[in-house]
Amino acid sequence: MSDKLILALPSKGRLMEQCADALAKAGLVVTKTGAARGYKGEIEGLADVEVNFVSASEIAQFLKTGAAHLGITGEDLVREAIPDCEQRVTFLAPCGFGRADVVTAVPACWIDVRRMSDLEEMALTYRRVHGRRVRVATKYLNLTRRFFTQKGVTGYRIVESLGATEGAPAAGLSELVVDITTTGATLRANGLKVLEDGVILRSQANLISSKTARWSPALRALERQIAARLTA
Amino acid sequence: MTAETAQKFEALEAQARRLMAVFRAAGYEHVAPSIIQPAGLFLDVVGESLRARTYVFTDPDGEELCLRPDLTVPTCRLHLERHADGNVPARYCYNGSAFRFQPGGVTHAHPREFRQAGIESFAAADREEADASVLALIVGALREAGLAELQLRIGDLGLFTALLDALAMPERWRRRLRHQFWRPEAFRAELARLTSSEALQVQGLPRAIADRLDPGNPLEAQGLVEAYLDQTGVELIGTRTSAEIAERLIAEAADARETPLAPDKAALIESYTAVRAPAREAAARLAALTRPHKVDLAAPLAAFSRRLDLLQAAGVDTANAAFSAEFGRNLEYYTGFVFELVAPQLGARSPVAGGGRYDSLLANVGAPGDVPAVGSCIHTERLLAMLEGRAT
Repeated sequence: MSDKLILALPSKGRLMEQCADALAKAGLVVTKTGAARGYKGEIEGLADVEVNFVSASEIAQFLKTGAAHLGITGEDLVREAIPDCEQRVTFLAPCGFGRADVVTAVPACWIDVRRMSDLEEMALTYRRVHGRRVRVATKYLNLTRRFFTQKGVTGYRIVESLGATEGAPAAGLSELVVDITTTGATLRANGLKVLEDGVILRSQANLISSKTARWSPALRALERQIAARLTA
Repeated sequence: MTAETAQKFEALEAQARRLMAVFRAAGYEHVAPSIIQPAGLFLDVVGESLRARTYVFTDPDGEELCLRPDLTVPTCRLHLERHADGNVPARYCYNGSAFRFQPGGVTHAHPREFRQAGIESFAAADREEADASVLALIVGALREAGLAELQLRIGDLGLFTALLDALAMPERWRRRLRHQFWRPEAFRAELARLTSSEALQVQGLPRAIADRLDPGNPLEAQGLVEAYLDQTGVELIGTRTSAEIAERLIAEAADARETPLAPDKAALIESYTAVRAPAREAAARLAALTRPHKVDLAAPLAAFSRRLDLLQAAGVDTANAAFSAEFGRNLEYYTGFVFELVAPQLGARSPVAGGGRYDSLLANVGAPGDVPAVGSCIHTERLLAMLEGRAT
């Protein structure tokens, strides 16, 4: 077992760029190293930190299992991947980028459905008329279930959607969606509206610490140092 | 979890043989429905709460399948394969694996892979008789296996339905209250809403529509919806029609004009759900509760008492049975009599057997209409643990 602090960072896309920028601004310059070029890295001046570049959703898995001590990724991905996430990780600091709201959105033409409670009642009628449950397209299975249960909505069924979720209702693949949105423009363009009390999570990228990783006092000191620089 | 030992396997097999012999001797046909089930149909029937605990996967053809989380729905499907309209009397028994994700972690009482031995009785016309004979057979099978000391807990959703039917209110209110019965908080909130004329007002709807909605004229309402969408440039997308949207708006408008539920009637419904009594005293208790409100539950209470008599006659000890009006199962598909057999060593969270009546399940699985159905199953690992004295 290495006694280095493993820091998991997004390996691609906009989140990777924003992460690199934020770290650089905090005086933490990340460089890629090694034979597995592109997937390992180090931070200048912090010899005991090993950087792993993995996909944003895998970072949640790394933190969950303790394969990484620290990670930067979206709060939505962590809450989705780790049902008991308060037991497994600590959210150290929001990063101020990667903002996205996870919301419940229905066709804008449903002028009879404005709140989550309307949704439950509508689901009851829908099943009577159509002979099946209302379908919710989403990649957030766990967040959706937890939120709908909390709101007393039960008469639905999730259909897993891994891309272009917002198009599912118009395509007849689902009746509504749980999806991420930043400005709401994509939802509107697809004829959808967010329910009044349908915001599940206001998410952004976070510096997150794993409770299941193997920690030593020295690694904890490093963690404090990184967190302090990022939040300075 | 580690692989099951050969010894435990043998013990479970031997126990299953004893249970199945009892079921077969009573005229139940031994069936073995598929372990792998189509996820779509299954999950549409059982809902998301059980789906969260179901192992779902996609096969190389892209078909969504699941490992059955219980054997009741697969047995319904098997019955419908034989009789498409479902309404042919049949009695089945089974013993087989079911699979459930255990959110609290895997334990002896809550394994993720377990065997259910159970029975299902379809299309029996005399409901109380069928309820009683299913429960009596399960009790008999448990006795045959060697377990006698069990606490019987019962409930009856039919009584709740009858109570709502006896109170004056729109049918859609009854439907909502029945639907929310399983969720005490949402149920109380709905009840409070129905007693408040303020809460019943339509909120957040454009005035152009709200003021002109006539509950007696659905066609006009549909026209209003379409005109409004047209004016505001909102496209009608998805599988719901403007008629369905109008139907719900009409219901909202009708609610706003409805006389709210009288507070004493709401209180009666609340106090009904709180009734807990020895089963033998429950009927008298419920009659006393409803009499001052001039609510007549004579027929459903007579059926309730008759069922108890039939149970007693079939050798089930009803003197120590406990009735709870709120007693429900997590599975929403139950519609009438429900029961659980609890062992003190395992506690109420881990019943040894349970079951009940689910008259709309066959329709949900594909039958053209409701079919009387009642069934029950034994959690065989728990039973074995009890018999071997391992349960703590």
